[in-house]
Amino acid sequence: MIRREFLKVASTALGTVGLAPWILEREAAAAAEVDAAKSALADVALATAKRLGASYADIRINRYRSELIATREQQVQNVQRNQDFGFGVRVLVKGTWGFAASSIVTADEIRRVTQGAVDIARANSAFQRKRVTLAPVERVEAKDPFDVPLDTKIQFLLTLNGAAMKTADVSFVNSSMVWVNEQRFLATSDGSRIEQYLIRGLPQFNVTAVSRETGDFQTRRSLGGPQARGYEYIEKYPWQAEAQQAGEEAVAKLKAKSVEPGRYDLVIHPTNLWLTIHESAGHSTELDRALWWEADYAGTSFLTPDKAGKLRFGSPLVNIVADRVQPTALATVAYDDDGVPAQRWYLVKDGVFVDWQTTRDLAPLIGRKKSYGCLNADSWRNVAFPRMPNVSLEPGAQDTSLDELVAGVEKGILIYGDGSWSIDQQRYNFQFGGQTFWEISKGKVAGMMRDVAYQSRSTDFWGACDGLGGRSTYQLNGSFVDGKGEPGQVGVVSHGCPVARFRQVNVLNTSVSMT
Amino acid sequence: MVLTETASRAVTDRLLGSVTADDGVAFVESEDYSHLRFAANTFLTSGRREGVNARVTVWIGKRRGSASTTDLSDAALKQAVEDAQTFAKLAPVDVEYLPSLAQQTYKPGQGWVDATSRIDLPDRAHQISDAIAQSEKGGIIGAGFHQVGLLARASATMHGNFNYERGSLVSLRMTARTPDGSGSGYFARNHFDVARLDTARVAREAIRRASDSRGARMLPAGTYPVVLEAQAVADLLDSGGMSFDARNADEGRSAFSLPGGATRVGTRLFDPRINIVSDPWRPELSKFTVSDEGVPAETTYLVRNGMVETLRYSRYWAQQKNKKPSGPFAFILESSTPGSSVDAMIKTAKRALLVARFFYIRTVDPRSASVTGLTRDGVWYIENGEIKYPVRNFRFNQSIVLMLAPGNVDLIGVPERVASSEGGRDPLFVPALRLNAFNFTSQSDAV
Repeated sequence: MIRREFLKVASTALGTVGLAPWILEREAAAAAEVDAAKSALADVALATAKRLGASYADIRINRYRSELIATREQQVQNVQRNQDFGFGVRVLVKGTWGFAASSIVTADEIRRVTQGAVDIARANSAFQRKRVTLAPVERVEAKDPFDVPLDTKIQFLLTLNGAAMKTADVSFVNSSMVWVNEQRFLATSDGSRIEQYLIRGLPQFNVTAVSRETGDFQTRRSLGGPQARGYEYIEKYPWQAEAQQAGEEAVAKLKAKSVEPGRYDLVIHPTNLWLTIHESAGHSTELDRALWWEADYAGTSFLTPDKAGKLRFGSPLVNIVADRVQPTALATVAYDDDGVPAQRWYLVKDGVFVDWQTTRDLAPLIGRKKSYGCLNADSWRNVAFPRMPNVSLEPGAQDTSLDELVAGVEKGILIYGDGSWSIDQQRYNFQFGGQTFWEISKGKVAGMMRDVAYQSRSTDFWGACDGLGGRSTYQLNGSFVDGKGEPGQVGVVSHGCPVARFRQVNVLNTSVSMT
Repeated sequence: MVLTETASRAVTDRLLGSVTADDGVAFVESEDYSHLRFAANTFLTSGRREGVNARVTVWIGKRRGSASTTDLSDAALKQAVEDAQTFAKLAPVDVEYLPSLAQQTYKPGQGWVDATSRIDLPDRAHQISDAIAQSEKGGIIGAGFHQVGLLARASATMHGNFNYERGSLVSLRMTARTPDGSGSGYFARNHFDVARLDTARVAREAIRRASDSRGARMLPAGTYPVVLEAQAVADLLDSGGMSFDARNADEGRSAFSLPGGATRVGTRLFDPRINIVSDPWRPELSKFTVSDEGVPAETTYLVRNGMVETLRYSRYWAQQKNKKPSGPFAFILESSTPGSSVDAMIKTAKRALLVARFFYIRTVDPRSASVTGLTRDGVWYIENGEIKYPVRNFRFNQSIVLMLAPGNVDLIGVPERVASSEGGRDPLFVPALRLNAFNFTSQSDAV
């Protein structure tokens, strides 16, 4: 979220939530002090790098604030606030990257750390096989100061826990909310100076029902996911009603019918489908994976560089878009960590895989002159590398409803919420669970089912998509902790989609008897 | 920067010196971490980070607040204490509050080696260049990750406890792929002593496995006998699929729960040769010896001769159940009988699949510690004591408890220090296993 959008959020929050005065005063003082110094400190890094022979350099001076409130039943387990401030310098010497970072933000330390980054690049450059080249980028001058909305939300969580416990036989409930505020400053030797203010929140809960008689237990997690929004997300989403519903559903799952394995038509709600999009379409279209840069950890991709524009990814209904400008989405920014403006572009168009996620050092490798702006670091302490933009499935042209999609199913399952998830290193074979499963019989939703996981192959699954909900069924969900890279970093990313229907998907029963 | 004990104590003293609350605990962690990443036979990123994190938790009338900062200036530390105290005043009573620990006796660990903290940049670049050169010579595309992590951590309480420990770690993991994408091999090792990390072996093994996995055949999914290499065993056991947490078991939400509120402690759930032990002083493991709660480590048998002997207790749950709280978990799985080598497991197998590694493991049924995931970087078909051919990857759905149950464990190997390939740097000490049955539920096209 850039400054203007944030100020709107902040003023909304300030008007409705009582912030502790000391928070605002201290943050304002700290921000002003750092703002005044950032540009001068950046000059130190960039000049030092240039003097030491770097052909390119950038410095990110970032502050991260986070707040965690965790509860169970009517207890508060933890209230914690964290401050994390530091800088990372990236240099390119003889076509080789070097990076170094420190939490001491002074001119002397920046000189020392920049020297360290150059030393690393120089030591490695003697053995470098392929020199890095960067795609050009427009020079940017932007500055977005900010303010901070925060408050304690304990009573909200305890009330939510009470709502979940209203149903008899609910045994436990855990709830929490995490708020993160990133204050990013980027200066590059190309001349860009970019400041961004980002805020995001993750409210969540998990309800457990235990049957002491049978030894069985079932859980129902929250469906509302993380978003790049302020406290208005708490106020506008029906958290309390959903918690009560979750309590009822956790108990109902204890007595629900266990699924018979086999092939079913699936109607998948956005609260579940987002994760399938993330794993099968989001990661497979990362160009660094296709070029085997991630081969040692996250893996490669079934999409290879020669397949763009040729491979049928899904049915003609399937349009998947990469988007770093979508409001309230977690990976939305004004500029990436290369200083490239945020953009929107198609990855899959009319069912055909058409394009990649790129950064400045990836784009030239497939003959592109411009990056799509996917470089990101999760902290000042980590080197920026390619990360996923928001990747979303577009709704259908008609405003088809969930009920209309269900009406077209003879024997199927309606799935809500994300559960267990797993996919192979080239993004072919996946298996996903969920939170609640509802039998569809002759076009109508029947009773609850449980122990469901669907397993498929990415292109088979998307090829089986024969129905999309309209714009009114579209929702954003996403991940706060998308892991990738070495050293490992967590990404934040949203995935929007409508409810969607898939024909004849393999369904497993995940229940295992211990006797 | 890795803070010395004196410097760490100075930070915890300054934090606790500002506390006016009834009780408090101060923590400080400092690290010096560097990496070199390569892929497609060329260097990618390389960097170093140094940082500290100071954290304070306080209780005012059993109300708890916590705050942290990466700035060690007096003003920042005081601010962190003030933040924590502000939160504590706003928070409800922490009904699980226990007074912070009085002075404890700690037996130090042995996981720090000075030589690991002095790794030379050109030497490292040269070693990784050699690994790439091995790949180039073998017509293989190499990708890998070398990292050196130095970590010191300390905590102090207002009731007089203080502890400090530091650890070093160096690791290399490598994935080798044939240029046509038909073969892939992986190997990784780590150690706290740089002298004990054989980087050439890591490259050699990864490359060999890539070559040996070319031309894999598709076998039908189903239940097969398997030989799981130690890496694959570590991947499964570190996945979080089988938790020894006592509270979850007592609350009826664990594979160790029984109907009626009882647990499986005292039952022979596993093969009678299996011992699962926590012992951070095991020389090859040498892990941290103080838990996040400040509890000193003890050598503890969770499973002895297949019998669940105890579970792991937080301080609060230990007090509720009149048990001893658990120190940090150093996972060791070993046999009470002499271990077999992987070669011996292969030579005496009539029919089995040899599995090098698992990937993307997630829990699907916590009631039975069942997980799903996939094989990766090497599956081979064994028949009549010989490896016959490589096999395409599978997805599996498997209960870890039933995998280790009496009747399913055939042979147990010699434990090795190995870290989960997905989980990161924290090593386990586990053996290869030959199992009578393992459930592969679908085929995967991935290589």
